[in-house]
Amino acid sequence: MIGATVTLTVNGRDRIIAVPVDETLLVTLRERLGLTGAKLGCNQGVCGACTVLVDGRPVRGCLALSINCEGAAITTIEGLGEGRSLSLLQQAFVAAGAVQCGFCTSGMLLAATALLAEKPAASVEEIRAGLAGNICRCTGYRKIIDAVLAVATGRGP
Amino acid sequence: MTGIAFHLPDTIEEAVGLLVADPESRCLAGGATLVAMMNAGLMQPSGLISLRRVAALHGIERSADGWVRIGAMTRHCQTAASGLLEGGHRVVRHAASVIASPPVRNMGTIGGAVAFADPAADYLPALVAADAEIEIVGSNGPRRLVAEAFFLDWYQTALEPGELIVAVHLPPGPPRAVGRYNKLSRVEGDYATASVAVVLEMERGICSRIALAVGACGPKPIRLSESERALVGGRLDEDALAIAGGLLADAADPVDDVRASADYRRLVIPRLVRRAVRSAATEFR
Amino acid sequence: MSEPAIAVGRSAPRLEAVEKVTGRAEYIADLARPGMLYGAILQSPYAHARILRYHTSAARALPGVHAVLTGADFDDHRMGAFVKDETAIAIGKVRYVGEPVAAVAAMDEATARQACRLIEIDYEELPAVLTIEEALAPDAPLIHERLADYFKVFPAISKGNSLSYTEIVEGDIAQGWRACDVIIEGEFETPAQAHIAIEPCGALAEVDAQGRITLWSANQSVFRVQANVCESLGLSMARLRCLTPRIGGGFGNKMEAHVQPIVVQLALTTGRPVKLILTREEDFQIVRVRHPAKLRVRTGAKRDGTLIARECELYLDGGAYGDDSPGVLGYALLMSRGPYRIPHTRSHGQVVYTNKLRSGAFRGFGNPQVAFAGETQLDEIAEQLALDPIELRLKNILRPGEQWFGGQPVESNGLAECVSAVRKASGWDARKTLPAAPDGKQRGFGIALAAHISGLLGTGAIVRLLEDGSVVLNTGAVDIGQGSDTVLTQICAEALRIPIDRVSLASPDTDGSPYNWGTTASRVTYTTGRSVLGAAREVERQIKEHAAEIFECSPVDLELRAGGRVGIIGVPDKELPFLAVSARAHWRKGGPIVGANSFVYDTPTLDPKRATALGLPFQQIGVYSFCALIVEVEVDEATGQTLLRRAWSAVDVGKAINPQLVEGQIEGGLVQGLGYALVEEVVWDGARLANPSLMDYKAPGIMDVPYELQSIIVEHPQPDGPFGAKGVGEIGLVPVAPAIANAIHEAAGVRLRRLPMTAEGVLRARLAEETSNAD
Repeated sequence: MIGATVTLTVNGRDRIIAVPVDETLLVTLRERLGLTGAKLGCNQGVCGACTVLVDGRPVRGCLALSINCEGAAITTIEGLGEGRSLSLLQQAFVAAGAVQCGFCTSGMLLAATALLAEKPAASVEEIRAGLAGNICRCTGYRKIIDAVLAVATGRGP
Repeated sequence: MTGIAFHLPDTIEEAVGLLVADPESRCLAGGATLVAMMNAGLMQPSGLISLRRVAALHGIERSADGWVRIGAMTRHCQTAASGLLEGGHRVVRHAASVIASPPVRNMGTIGGAVAFADPAADYLPALVAADAEIEIVGSNGPRRLVAEAFFLDWYQTALEPGELIVAVHLPPGPPRAVGRYNKLSRVEGDYATASVAVVLEMERGICSRIALAVGACGPKPIRLSESERALVGGRLDEDALAIAGGLLADAADPVDDVRASADYRRLVIPRLVRRAVRSAATEFR
Repeated sequence: MSEPAIAVGRSAPRLEAVEKVTGRAEYIADLARPGMLYGAILQSPYAHARILRYHTSAARALPGVHAVLTGADFDDHRMGAFVKDETAIAIGKVRYVGEPVAAVAAMDEATARQACRLIEIDYEELPAVLTIEEALAPDAPLIHERLADYFKVFPAISKGNSLSYTEIVEGDIAQGWRACDVIIEGEFETPAQAHIAIEPCGALAEVDAQGRITLWSANQSVFRVQANVCESLGLSMARLRCLTPRIGGGFGNKMEAHVQPIVVQLALTTGRPVKLILTREEDFQIVRVRHPAKLRVRTGAKRDGTLIARECELYLDGGAYGDDSPGVLGYALLMSRGPYRIPHTRSHGQVVYTNKLRSGAFRGFGNPQVAFAGETQLDEIAEQLALDPIELRLKNILRPGEQWFGGQPVESNGLAECVSAVRKASGWDARKTLPAAPDGKQRGFGIALAAHISGLLGTGAIVRLLEDGSVVLNTGAVDIGQGSDTVLTQICAEALRIPIDRVSLASPDTDGSPYNWGTTASRVTYTTGRSVLGAAREVERQIKEHAAEIFECSPVDLELRAGGRVGIIGVPDKELPFLAVSARAHWRKGGPIVGANSFVYDTPTLDPKRATALGLPFQQIGVYSFCALIVEVEVDEATGQTLLRRAWSAVDVGKAINPQLVEGQIEGGLVQGLGYALVEEVVWDGARLANPSLMDYKAPGIMDVPYELQSIIVEHPQPDGPFGAKGVGEIGLVPVAPAIANAIHEAAGVRLRRLPMTAEGVLRARLAEETSNAD
């Protein structure tokens, strides 16, 4: 088959989409579904700006082919938070000053969300290890760690 | 519109059939390398054979005789977390845990890494040190090659057209061996500038068995029996370590690249060997 | 102001934070227009070649292609911040590998890229010049044959491949050397650093029925975009409107032009909106880098540590086009004395053309290169004289009121306080009593000081009082992620004593915003903040004028009260909300209240009584911020690899309008400096970039950066700064490389004079040291 329809559950909603074989999940999300929160930074899997959750695990949107994601549950930045209210991590990123230009933020938040799902009381070292695949060129990382730590220690945002 | 065909076989035989039918097609494992190359226009396969649904390629198992089988589609994160990789097999687990970054480890597979055979990839020296065997299936049936014989040259393996990597098999090591993978890289998550994989067994302070493989310092991992013989039967003293490391450095065939010069790599190989062996030896105290 | 602050000094969350944590912020790649086409570029395979012929028919014939442009479709108009030497696309010849030579607009990106591959160009290869030495060789091929004819915005001293020569002299250097007891001399080399804003550059242009163009792009100044596009395409500025989406990081790379002129020409040619986003590789290859530099520096002191003389000779590799190079050169030389009193100083240098990617503005603007040399030599002097590096520095730092190199007096100077803050926080004086490093590791501390300006050129602000008494602020300053939208809003809110949420900030728009040179030179808080304050004061004046008429009192008897009211001083119940005043102004008397302010920074840099200069590209540079940085490193004895363990950075910012944002600048600058110090280097393999990808070019990730990274804010008010504020955007990066170099010396006993200080560099230096000790 040359391209096909795939069914993805994106942020809780089933989407049936026709995609060419070589279309990455990042392109599908951004251009077919209008979910532009995931960013293209390197298209090589290094920078992490395209990170989304596939079945709860952070992966590179630019390295996953949509056609190979049949049946997967995808969470993007647009799917964090409940309704119009922000998730605790989103609130913590705002409060801690963990956001500067914002281009790495969605990938960073999704990586952090997966990390805390696995290790709700993550230490500084575990947070660093969990975010090791996401480059931020603005913040120096300190305030990003602080934001995740605030949630991990239950101090709240 | 691209003309790439997409296939989702359920069995190894089906996958091999597809590969044979279209030699320009490629197997899609985790995608971490293949898709990056497609994005950059460096690879334009005529078809993709997704191995996702081939159940026989998934999972890590340990058989009664001590062999461990790692299915080709096992992701790095699964290898890194596997409790079945104990003793000397830890060298493979350890290597898996330092590949790139968590999201890449969630995608990349051992089969994909072995097939791509980037000499700077972490698995390569670890598999060579672990005496791993690569199980391959082609239209002529299955065959197994030891890792040392499988990796041939820069990005070149013994894999023939129409063949598929099915699994990596780790032979039972000495029960008390330890495995370690030491990596030097410019920043965390980079490919190795140089790396050393070691499997070591000590008895009463004497090295009873050692396997040493150096990565990222030539077209394929470097392992030398002379180097290992210099250590077996001794107490891993400075002189012996220097000889072992020196032999490996002499055998290395590194190149200058953006990560470091060839000279530097030759310089640090003995130093990394010393550190890797020493660090493994501490587990026997 | 004795009343409690409403907005200034508070760590208000950035205005657009929610937009960014929910993925709703729109960057250039997220924008789309109906009927939009996609652009792509074809790049030169040669470093230096004459273009003989274009073959574009195959590309034009490809279905879905709407336009194919080459140098033949552009008139020879030139842009450039200092020397107008650059066309929108290569015309006549190419000057670096990767230079855009053709562009396509097509129905989708894949078609545009495919069409580019179908274009063939005949070249006649010319000898290329790839190093500073080659460029300055007597018989070197000329990269710009018409350099003498190019328009220059200052009297540049240019010759051959030398784009500009600058010299600044204070005192009598020959006399200075005679008075020194110790003289240190060294050669230093620094690499090209890539900005790697995580957002690649891109642009989107659209032409309306009247032929007016609207252009969105990744930028640091809508006004510089407008100027560059119009200069390079020969358009009237009135015909082009520049807007900005959110910007995914800008560290100098987005200040001058990248693909905007090409995208505008594609839109003009097709009559359709055209968007072009560079790939990461293209972004590496065609935008700009930090100047590779070679320096020869000499510093001399008295036996008691008093600095007497310095000479700095600087060579910058400018690449193929001038861009900001003359400014970087002049500024680097101005910074080459550091924040010290050195009575005899001579600094001179030149920036040369080479057949490589252009160098340009990058956080620090020449200062990191000279600081690396200067701060290293201070430690060498301290070592020779057996003085503590901090004591040596304290003995020589400029004190408030003393003059900068060139003669400009510096009133606000909290450097001494910065030094004591980091000395205390780091435990510097007790560092030798710390537990020993683990086996195989060596640890050491290092210090470096820095100063950096904020200022330069023109800026403006308009504050309008809406009918209900809320406010719209319009400055034209682009927030590139550092937080200036928030800071300027805080300044406006404080001046009018209203809550931040009663101020709305207009997005920069060359049609509607007052001029703003740009988000660069650490200048927005200081310069634009001053304009905002000036415009708000004008609104205040008008409010008081209305209120005075209503209350039948004098305006001087009135005060603004928190929450948007104006009242008679000392009479609490005599007051009016802004709404009452604004309604009166809108409907009955005086007209809607608008406050406007604009100014150009005009304090002279050079005092002819103290110093002389040749070829200085600017006359009025700015006010000074100060920084002291202490780092602790750990060097791996086996590999030479250096790890930053802890860092303490104190910056005198005058006044922190938003402390959290200030910390963000300090920390971010520190980590970008860490990359510059230890790993980052754009490498050329011959004429071609060897590492134009994030796989091969590495910047620090979270694991390479310590959590113990402490930023300390020091506040010595700048008298003319808004609420005392001055800039903080760049300074945190400047002292990082020398502080780490000095720490490596303390740890491992070796001095590195070449950046980056890779594992290989450190190990080789150690081995060389061991060999020379053994001899």
